[in-house]
Order: sequence, then structure tokens, then C-alpha cells
Amino acid sequence: MCNSGRSRVQQAENDQGVNPTEALIDIQSLRKEYPGLALPAVRDVSLSIQEGEIFGLLGPNGAGKTTTLSILCGLKNPTSGHLAISGFGYAGDRQVIQRLIGVVPQEIALFPKLTAWENLRFFGNMFGLTGAVLKARAFELLDQFGLAEFRDKQIGTFSGGMKRRVNLIAGILHHPRILFLDEPTVGVDVQSRNMILNLLRGLNQQGMTILYTSHHMEEAADLCTRIAIIDHGTIIITGHPADLIRQHQVPNLEHLFLNLTGRNLRDEC
Amino acid sequence: MLRFRASIFKEILLLIRDRSGLAILFFMPVALVTIMALVQDAPFRDYQELNIPALLLNQDEGAFGEQILARFDSSRMFDILEITGDEQALKKKIADGTYDIGIVIPPGVSDYILAQSNGYAEQMMRDLGMPVLPSELPGIDSTKQVGIFFKPGVKQSFRQAVLQAIRQESSQLETATLIRSFKTILGAEDDGEQASDFGNFVAFRERPVGDEWLEARQTNSVQHNVPAWTMFGMFFIVISLAGSIIREREEGSYLRILTMPGSYLTVLLGKMTAYLGVCLIQCALMLGVGVFFLPLLGLPALDMQGMTFLNLALVATSCGLAAVGFGVLTGTICQTHQQASTFGSVSVVILAALGGIWVPVYVMPAVIQSIAEWSPLFWGLNAFQHVFLGNGQFQPIAAYLLYLQLFFLCCVGISLLINRARQQA
Repeated sequence: MCNSGRSRVQQAENDQGVNPTEALIDIQSLRKEYPGLALPAVRDVSLSIQEGEIFGLLGPNGAGKTTTLSILCGLKNPTSGHLAISGFGYAGDRQVIQRLIGVVPQEIALFPKLTAWENLRFFGNMFGLTGAVLKARAFELLDQFGLAEFRDKQIGTFSGGMKRRVNLIAGILHHPRILFLDEPTVGVDVQSRNMILNLLRGLNQQGMTILYTSHHMEEAADLCTRIAIIDHGTIIITGHPADLIRQHQVPNLEHLFLNLTGRNLRDEC
Repeated sequence: MLRFRASIFKEILLLIRDRSGLAILFFMPVALVTIMALVQDAPFRDYQELNIPALLLNQDEGAFGEQILARFDSSRMFDILEITGDEQALKKKIADGTYDIGIVIPPGVSDYILAQSNGYAEQMMRDLGMPVLPSELPGIDSTKQVGIFFKPGVKQSFRQAVLQAIRQESSQLETATLIRSFKTILGAEDDGEQASDFGNFVAFRERPVGDEWLEARQTNSVQHNVPAWTMFGMFFIVISLAGSIIREREEGSYLRILTMPGSYLTVLLGKMTAYLGVCLIQCALMLGVGVFFLPLLGLPALDMQGMTFLNLALVATSCGLAAVGFGVLTGTICQTHQQASTFGSVSVVILAALGGIWVPVYVMPAVIQSIAEWSPLFWGLNAFQHVFLGNGQFQPIAAYLLYLQLFFLCCVGISLLINRARQQA
């Protein structure tokens, strides 16, 4: 873990967490073991993600994507290894990192009985946003995501695509520098997916670094500046999608994925 | 503070939107208080106030029948109806279920008692060597038996009480008649009614020792049931609160909150505050039912004359905290809503049973009594009763408040440790 302490926290607060001399996300030899499981969920994972990237973490079910993402979000502690986000580690600078990152879980992590605006107000308050600033930001995003007219409707009445969009808005309300998304387009229609991907591109153009996991190879190839394929808890390849396709002489990313991870089913329970 | 306020506001909105859940949280305890106070009204009353419907078929034309009738008439134990006809007619009315008890006094009982008394008196005079004209002591006549008929299922203790009352009356009349017989034989003047007015040679003193408020709380079912079911109702928010925690975990909002700056405890405190508010409203509502609504149903009003508002607020808040803490622990331990609902309801019922909600703890076996002292509902119920029936002192409730608050802290502390362990696993 990186060094920590009040001086680092103070520095982060002073410069809003910017530390341009290091990779924005730096993971070295990350390992995660679960009690009772013979094999580690993640082993010897090393990644370096630069500011401004859209990084795709791809892998079959049970490959270690969600565990890696959970460690990056601070939801799980690694068994061993080094993790730094903008030079800060969770051990001493958790609050600093939590202000830098936005998280969009795979689940619709919203309150179905609350309206879109009430949900966003709650999560905005969790980040310290309040009053007119919060309202303006939430309404702006609702408008961008085509949900302005539904802001006073309860989430429970929304379609799957609408819920996904509010789920995403809740993760970016506070202008995070880094956005972690766990399969943000799962279960949505083509139109919603298209809108979500375009908005992610827009956020990235505004300077947001994005790390996301997905099962959609075509989507990842189209969206990501770089991808990593993980299997059995280990990164097996990293690179730009187009470069990887060319180097391995395959027609698309899905072929490469199947060549590297095999065609056997990866059912998990 | 913003996170805390936001959490409270969010919980209040969620509670308000869940109208059926809210109705259950408020309506169910009120219904419980009302129904249980009504159902337990009779068992809590003294037998002298029961007004049990009873039939009397008095075929005797003498003093015995009249005295039995007068005795039962003057007693608040029975609501007696004198009928004519025969024993079969009386039995039929009992079998119909309209009356719990029927008493048949056969014809000639008074004459029979008089004949027996005269016979015994003459026998005794002869034994003492006094000159008495010989006469024959009448034998036992089975046709002169007083019949007592009960509806099936009437408790043995009640039957004994009725038999005892009739025996006592019979005994008094027999004694008086015997004395009258002696007087007649000896040629003394018969002073009629006064002959039986001996009173009791041995008097009895009856008074409670120890906690005098314990005596007061047994006065009626309202005094027991209102605080008891208030506690029970407050603890039933365990299911709702645990369900809310599990739902947030399942839906992912819990994990999202964990990725946000600040302590989860702040958010949890907001949730607990909202549910504590629900508990306090429940409490106020149910006490209001005890004071204003139950008297409309013919029950006595809840006696709160020993209460100070501060003590009541402290007890209600401490009970609410204990219930909320238990809800948080249940929501943390249980993995699914179904588990929480089953575990929550069963555990609350067990804690309530041990805590003396149904049956007062002092009538439980000694082993159970020692276990009962560990139930938060026992602490809460005792604290409430001290507040209502004490004399406004803080000292008698201090220990209970401490136990309830420690219980809350333990539950929340264990929940946070479990959450941390899960996160670090």
C-alpha cells in the first residue's frame, strides 16, 4: 500500500487529489483469497491505468473481474499486493479516494420507492452536495440522460434502461475523476445502451477516467482505449483492442476472448 | 451531519411510501393492546367481580334456600337468576352454554337440617346425662343433596370456590340451627337471626410485603396489557427494520454507500433515528389507547398517576433503542428477508413470553424467572410499570434504562463488527 498520513490527506484536499506524477490507478501483484476456497479469486494482478483512459476489464464469469473492482472501490481488502489510486491507498487515505471515485454497481443500487430526484438528492448528500448546487447538477444530468420529465416519478415504475441511467447518474453526481462501472449496460435495450455509451464517451472527453467490466466484447472494442482480459484471477492480456485483434490475427475481440479463455461454459453459483 | 439528516429524511420517505407496512406498524400494536386488554380483562379481575351467570332452582321453602339465594345475590361473583321448574330444565340451560353454573336446592332441605340438628342436640344432651325425651336421629337422606352443575371446562379452582361458598353457608346454617335446637331443649328464649351471628373467632390480616407497586399492577388487565403490548409492538419493528437493511444490501445501495466518503455508522444512525421515531409514535399511540379508548370499551383507564414525563420519555426512548438495536442486528445476521421475518417474529415472541408480556414473570417457574431477567422486554415492561405506578422516582428505573441502552449498544456494536468482518473477508 502507498504511504499515508494527515499530510497526504491535506495535500489531496488542497489539490483536489491530483497527483500527476503517478499512474492514476496502479495495481501491483494484487492477490485476494477467500476463506474456504482452494484457489485465490485474484492472483498476481498488475495494472497501470493512466488518466483519461477508458479501460475495459473483460473476463468470463468467475474470472475475478468483480473482486478486482471491489478491491479498487475499497469494498474488499486485498490479501496482498499494492494498490494506489492517484497515489493514495485505502489504508490511510480512504476518504480521499472515495472523493475521487464514482461507483456504478451492476445492481440497480437505488431506492425503488423514492423518485429519481429523491434518490439523487440522497446520494448527492452522501458526497456532501447540497442545496442549489446539487439540484442543478442532478437536473442537468437527468436532462442529459433523457430523464428530466421523470425526475418526480418513483424508480420502481421505471423501465430497466431508465433505472440503469439513474444508477449511472448517482455515480457521477459529484464529478468523480475516476468512474468504476460493473457491467453498466447489462439488461438494457439498444437505445439505452447507445445513450449510456455515448454519455460515457462524453464524460471521458471531459477528463473522467473510466474502468468498467463487461461481457459485451463488441461494446468494449468500440468504447475502450485499452482492455485487459482476466481469467482464473490472472490478467492474461492487456492492450488496445484494435492492436490486440491485429496482433492475434482474429476477426474481432470476441474471437480473441474465446481463444484466450476457451469455449467451456463458466457457470458459477 | 448532512449524511445523518439525509439518511433520516430518506428513511422517513421510505416509511411513508410503504403504507401497508406503516399500517401494520401502527394498527397491529393498537389492535393487540385493545384485544388483549379485553380478552384478559376477566382473568385479571378478582373473582368477587366476575358476575358469572348462574342459575338457582330453589325448591326449598325454608331458611336454607333463602340464605343461599341471599348469599349469592349479594356476591359480585355471580349474576344469579332464580328459575322454576325441575332439575332437567336447569341442566338443559347449562348444557346450552348460556350459564356456567346451576344450583339445585331440593325441597325440604331446611326441615331436614332442623331435624338433623334436633336429633344431634338431643343425642348430646342424653350423652351429658340430661333428661331428654327419647327421639330417633334421622338417617342420611340422599334426596336432600344440594345439586351443583357446571358447564364442561369450568376450571377446578372455580368449582372449588363455588363449593366452598355453599359449604360455608350450609355450615353456618347448620350451626345456627343446632344452637337453636339446644336452646329449645334447654327452654332458653330463641333470639332468631342472632343465633348464627358469631362472626369469626380468628381474624386474618392480609397485606402485600416487598414491592407494593407489584400489587398495584395486578389491579386490572389494562394496567398490565397496555405497557406489555406497547413493548411488544415496539419490538415488532425489528422485522420492518431488518427488512429495510436486507433490502438495501440486496439492491446494492448499501455497497454504494460504503464507497462514499464518511462512516456508514452515520447513515445507520440516521436509519435508527427514523425507526426510533416510529417506536415513540407507537408508544404514544398505545398509551393514548390505554387512557382514552379502552375506557370506551368498558375497561378501566390506564393509571398513569405516578408518572413523570421525563421518566416516561427516558423509558420509551430506551425501549425504542433496544428494539432498533435488535432490528439492526437481525438485519445484519439474516441473509434474506424471509429469514429476518421468521427469526424476528419468533425471537420477539420468545423474548415477550420470557419478559412477562403474556404471563406475569412472578408466576413463572424459578428457572424461567432467572432467564426472564435477561429479556429486554422484561426490563422495558418493569420500567414502564414503575413509571406508571411508582411515585415518580428515577432510581427504580435506572437499572432497567441502563440494561436497555447497553443492549442497544451491544446489538449495534456486534452488527458493525459483523459488517467489518464481511468486508474484510
